[in-house]
Amino acid sequence: MDTILPIIAGAIFASGIYLLLRPSLILTIIGIILISNSVNLALFTLGRISTENPPLIAAGSVMPEVPFANPLPQALILTAIVIGFGLLAFALALAYRSYKELGTVDQDQLLKDPEDTSTAIVNNTDNTEKRDV
Amino acid sequence: MNGFLVFPIIIPLIVATLALLFRKSSVMQRWIGVTGMVILLASVIVLFRDVYVDGIQVLQLGDWDAPFGITLVGDMLSMLMLGISAVMGLIIAVYSLYDIDKERERFGYYPLLHILLMGVNGSFLTGDIFNLYVWFEVMLIASFILLALGNSKNQLQGALKYVIINLFSSLLFLFGVALLYGMTGTLNMADLAQRLPEVENVGLVTTVSMIFLVSFGIKAAIFPLFFWLPASYHTPPVAISAIFGGLLTKVGVYALIRVFTLLFTQDIGYTHTILMWVAGFTMVIGVLGAASHYEFRKILSFHIVSQIGYMIMGLAFNTALGLMGAIFYVLHNILAKSNLFLISGIAQRLLGTFELKQMGGLYKHYPFLAVLFMISAFALAGFPPLSGFWAKLTVVKAGLAVEAYVLTATAILVGLLTLFSMMKIWLTAFWGTVPEKGVPEHFGKIALFGAGNLYIMVVPVMAVAGLILLVGLYAQPLLEVCLIAAEQLLNPSVYIEAVLGPQ
Amino acid sequence: MLIMVALIFGIALMAPWIFKLFREKTGWVLALLPLGSFVYLLSWMPHIADGNTVTQSTAWVNMDFFSVNLSFYLDGLSLMFGLIITGIGTFIVLYGGGYLSGSAYLPRFYSAILLFMGSMLGVVIADNLISIFVFWELTSFTSFLLIGFTHEQENSRRSALMALLVTGIGGLAMLAGLILMGFATGQWEVSALLNEGDIVREHGLYLPILLLILAGAFTKSAQFPFSFWLPAAMVAPTPVSAYLHSATMVKAGVYLLARMHPVLGFTETWMLLVGGFGLATLLISAWLALSYTDMKQILAYSTVMSLGTMMMLIGLGTELAMQALAVYVFSHAMYKGALFMVAGAVDHEAGTRDVLKLGGLRALMPISAAAAAVAALSMAGIPPLFGFVAKEIVYEASLGATLWPVLIITVAVIANIAIVAASAIVVLRPFFGTAVETPKKAHEAPLSMWIGPAMLAALSVVFGVLPFLIDSALMLPAAAAVWGAPLDFYLSLWHGINLPLILSILTLAGGILVYRVWDPLRESAPMKVWQSGFADYPVRGYDATVNGMLSLAGWQTRVLQNGLISNYLSTIIITALIAVGYTFLSRSGLVWNPSFADVTIYEWALSIGIVASLGIILAFGHSRLTMIVGAGIVGFGLALIYLIHGAADLAMTQVLVETLTVILVVLVLIHVPKLKEVRSTTTRVRDGVIAVAAGVLMTLLIFAVTALPFDAFISEFYAEASYPLAHGRNIVNVILVDFRALDTMGEVIVVAIAGLAVYALIKMTRHGATQK
Repeated sequence: MDTILPIIAGAIFASGIYLLLRPSLILTIIGIILISNSVNLALFTLGRISTENPPLIAAGSVMPEVPFANPLPQALILTAIVIGFGLLAFALALAYRSYKELGTVDQDQLLKDPEDTSTAIVNNTDNTEKRDV
Repeated sequence: MNGFLVFPIIIPLIVATLALLFRKSSVMQRWIGVTGMVILLASVIVLFRDVYVDGIQVLQLGDWDAPFGITLVGDMLSMLMLGISAVMGLIIAVYSLYDIDKERERFGYYPLLHILLMGVNGSFLTGDIFNLYVWFEVMLIASFILLALGNSKNQLQGALKYVIINLFSSLLFLFGVALLYGMTGTLNMADLAQRLPEVENVGLVTTVSMIFLVSFGIKAAIFPLFFWLPASYHTPPVAISAIFGGLLTKVGVYALIRVFTLLFTQDIGYTHTILMWVAGFTMVIGVLGAASHYEFRKILSFHIVSQIGYMIMGLAFNTALGLMGAIFYVLHNILAKSNLFLISGIAQRLLGTFELKQMGGLYKHYPFLAVLFMISAFALAGFPPLSGFWAKLTVVKAGLAVEAYVLTATAILVGLLTLFSMMKIWLTAFWGTVPEKGVPEHFGKIALFGAGNLYIMVVPVMAVAGLILLVGLYAQPLLEVCLIAAEQLLNPSVYIEAVLGPQ
Repeated sequence: MLIMVALIFGIALMAPWIFKLFREKTGWVLALLPLGSFVYLLSWMPHIADGNTVTQSTAWVNMDFFSVNLSFYLDGLSLMFGLIITGIGTFIVLYGGGYLSGSAYLPRFYSAILLFMGSMLGVVIADNLISIFVFWELTSFTSFLLIGFTHEQENSRRSALMALLVTGIGGLAMLAGLILMGFATGQWEVSALLNEGDIVREHGLYLPILLLILAGAFTKSAQFPFSFWLPAAMVAPTPVSAYLHSATMVKAGVYLLARMHPVLGFTETWMLLVGGFGLATLLISAWLALSYTDMKQILAYSTVMSLGTMMMLIGLGTELAMQALAVYVFSHAMYKGALFMVAGAVDHEAGTRDVLKLGGLRALMPISAAAAAVAALSMAGIPPLFGFVAKEIVYEASLGATLWPVLIITVAVIANIAIVAASAIVVLRPFFGTAVETPKKAHEAPLSMWIGPAMLAALSVVFGVLPFLIDSALMLPAAAAVWGAPLDFYLSLWHGINLPLILSILTLAGGILVYRVWDPLRESAPMKVWQSGFADYPVRGYDATVNGMLSLAGWQTRVLQNGLISNYLSTIIITALIAVGYTFLSRSGLVWNPSFADVTIYEWALSIGIVASLGIILAFGHSRLTMIVGAGIVGFGLALIYLIHGAADLAMTQVLVETLTVILVVLVLIHVPKLKEVRSTTTRVRDGVIAVAAGVLMTLLIFAVTALPFDAFISEFYAEASYPLAHGRNIVNVILVDFRALDTMGEVIVVAIAGLAVYALIKMTRHGATQK
């Protein structure tokens, strides 16, 4: 059983999580990209890796040569990659538009809950203080 | 095999494509948008009948036997969810005729609405865990853009949070799917239900169930994962808030119900105890959030969270009564909650704001609207003889039956707090005096059914209020089908046999 | 009976339209509805008097383990209450028409009051436990609407909400109690439960059931310390106060406990709780009544006192007490209803209800004055009125208490002294003495407004003089129903000279004395203390509870919903870590058998490359270009990993998508300025710890799963079926386009919609708000 790939997946995941928590929206999105990559790799690994032979059926035969790589996770990852790309493109466009409209990519500024005029009870907190907690 | 199962997925797709073709014509878009919903509803009714008469319906796509292809499964739970989503789709489409502006129409509002429903319906129908992931993503991308469509500052702020947190949730879901596949080698849910009990390391299955709990929990907005919801759901136009608030979180609830009755039943003492805690906290924290706000839609948004708690509570009991209550609660809540959002939209049109402190006089000038609000709000608070009463009664009864006294007491108290925050709206916007300034000229002058076409918004609200009353006064049929759904959930072997054939 | 209740509801909902037909005469038309119901109920009286009961049942929801019946049960108790509700209801509908004549809200008033009547009638004749709750909640709801009738005043709204919340929480507690009782006995019909008393009393859950039901009864029937909502509810129009908050709704709690007495009663806990609360309430509120000058407030507190008396009687649990209860409830409904209506008439005609600002109205409002005088005499317990009969038997029952009779009778006498004084105040001050200038020029109220009080006062006389008219027909069956077994007694006005009579005389003398010193007494310090202690503090407690809840809500929302997405995300991630990590360690345990033996040199190289670029990303956080290049390298590294493990298609797609991604990110970067890391080191370290934990957990989970045996049967099937059945040689492609084509369809839709979305985001002009 392969040992190194789970570790790589974990490492990419950890980096992704760290970036996800950064204040810059762009870094957050890069974090999402990394996490996405790590999950794909995890799926790949969990399909058990046994060979370097691709799951192709040679001309003239009806079965691929045994052993062959597990094709199902490959198909799933393909789907996930493309979907992930679509969502990512959207997220980037959203970040871009938000910057245009709101003039910043600092989440602490950008992502405050939309103005809440229910002043008496909520939203009296100072964000700059929060940041250093 | 029942080919009809594919219709709730295909119809919205065709309708969306057609609507996109007629992008330039607002009139065509509207006609297509509304007609499409009617056709969808009709197809769901046909399917519902099949399931009611013949039991669980199955379609093996591409004719590949399960578990090799993708299976669509229609059990009673799916049918009920499909039914409510089709009803709400129609209601929202009609309401949108007035609420949604030309600009949003031009950028594809109606196609997106249909794609959203396609994703929702696909999620309800699929019998394949990876396919569920795909439908979630379809639903998500449609909801992302519906939320941001309009590009106002509030919307963008709300959308960013919604998008990032939901992307993370999806990735977590995908990881969970990967682990399940790694443990069993299969993706078909019926097959998974068979193979998961055979996994040697039971603890590992329980661990994976936690990943699903967190991922679906984010979508369902349970404690402590719900923060994105009150931050975003009040930002888009009301029609969109209504369908999000009513329907979308319930897809998460549906997914939780599905996996925690079909897949993760190995260690109920552990997993379902966690669900109980989650349910309690979700109810309390959500309702307190609602109590602390003074913006119409924000109050409603926090209530969504709170009410999810009741549904999780029913699920956690894992009894027929509990599940029946949970399912009934979902259906009732979609009606009541969406309707309250829709009413907030009408109130905003009349008074020009969603801020309770600047609202008033609605009872005096628009008594009929007040009645509609009363019905929905008291239904939400669980007053008889409205739909919410049966929802609350079944859940409370289920709780007392399994001797979960603390949780049941919490549920009862939260019901009172729900009433409190609904009455906060009533006391200010409806019973309060008309504010001295800032009220639009037309307030009190235009009639709900007069010039100005407000009736386009009022009629859908009336329809939903009528349903709430009907379900309240004549609950038997709906309770019965909810019980059928609950019993199917409690006997997964029926589901498994329907999908995989006699074992 | 279902038809009767349904008819009332139906007509109630149509009232606004009926109003359009009959305008000012509507009251006379609508009064036929309660009158008809009254006659219908009356027609059952002989049957009930013979010791029979009536049950009618219609299934509402009927399922195996979940059924609710709309069933009705008529026995002596429910008949008596039903007659009070419909009888007084008839007068109230008439009275309301006169009182609110000219108000724009009159049609809504008719709707609400009739809805209330239907609900209240439902409470007392319902047989099924759940339907009792249903009607009970409906009375709370209609009461809310009616208290808030003058909703433009802040005070009305506040009082309406207060009543709704206080009775609401009690109602919910009661629901829980009723369900538990249903579970304990398996019976959901009152008529069946009445025989299951022993089972309930010996059940392990007896105490919780009792407490929950008491919570419902005490809040509804305004027992101290939950009594504060009732005086506050006096902001409602007087017909509402007279009907809901004196004659009927507030007696729902009394009714409930009377109803449940055969099931829950006869225990020491019952006697102590019900009797104790009743006794405290009657003493406190009797004297509170004397601290006000507003006629309605005085009457409100005297009502609370009466409710306390009824509770005390139920608590006594003797045969005599049950008889006293029936008589007292009946007499109270008559005199208190009349007094409230007169108070409203005075307010309506003279413009004030403050007894200090009234006087000598007798000449101007003769009929009202006469009705008020008779009713007040009855309330004071003076022969030959029915109130006297009632007080005699209450005293008699108190003397016969099984626990502490001396204490009980002393308290009862002290309280009744205050009530005698109160009776004198509400009739002598406004109607007698010298005439006083009033805000409005007073004259007699219209027929619709005096007919009710006059009739009720007349009945007080008739039943006082001729008690045999109702004793065996109505009182006896009612008392027997509460007692749970047949009883035998006869009422009479004259019992001879005995202890109760002496006590009555004592009470009367005391009352007159107190009345004479009322003005200084009202202003005296002990009275002020009494008032602030027992009237103000409970309200403050309510306010403190509501405000406390609100500030708790505000605090938790500030803490949790603080608007920062990184906080939301870290909360979510930490939750996931704890939930998954704890479960993993406690339920599964580590599976850790690394072996790097078959790691190839390529893999090592790739791994080192990937980890190095991750390092670059993290270390060069300030250079975004470096970062995105680093992320790109990670992606390409993965592509190579896929490639060397037999996934060529995947590798190609990965390269393609990764390239596009990098390009997109760079495009956005060009337009968006750089942002400095502003988080403190502590935060960064915390995030680092979270990140590492998450990564380790992921790795461990993959290890644990891959350690399990794996059955690739699906892929094997694909390999076999791919060419012969699906005619494809690239199995991955066949999966995508055939075996799992639906996934691919979804995928295409996502990408297409994303394209649409990007277009809209870039092109669409901004909306200032959500308006058209």
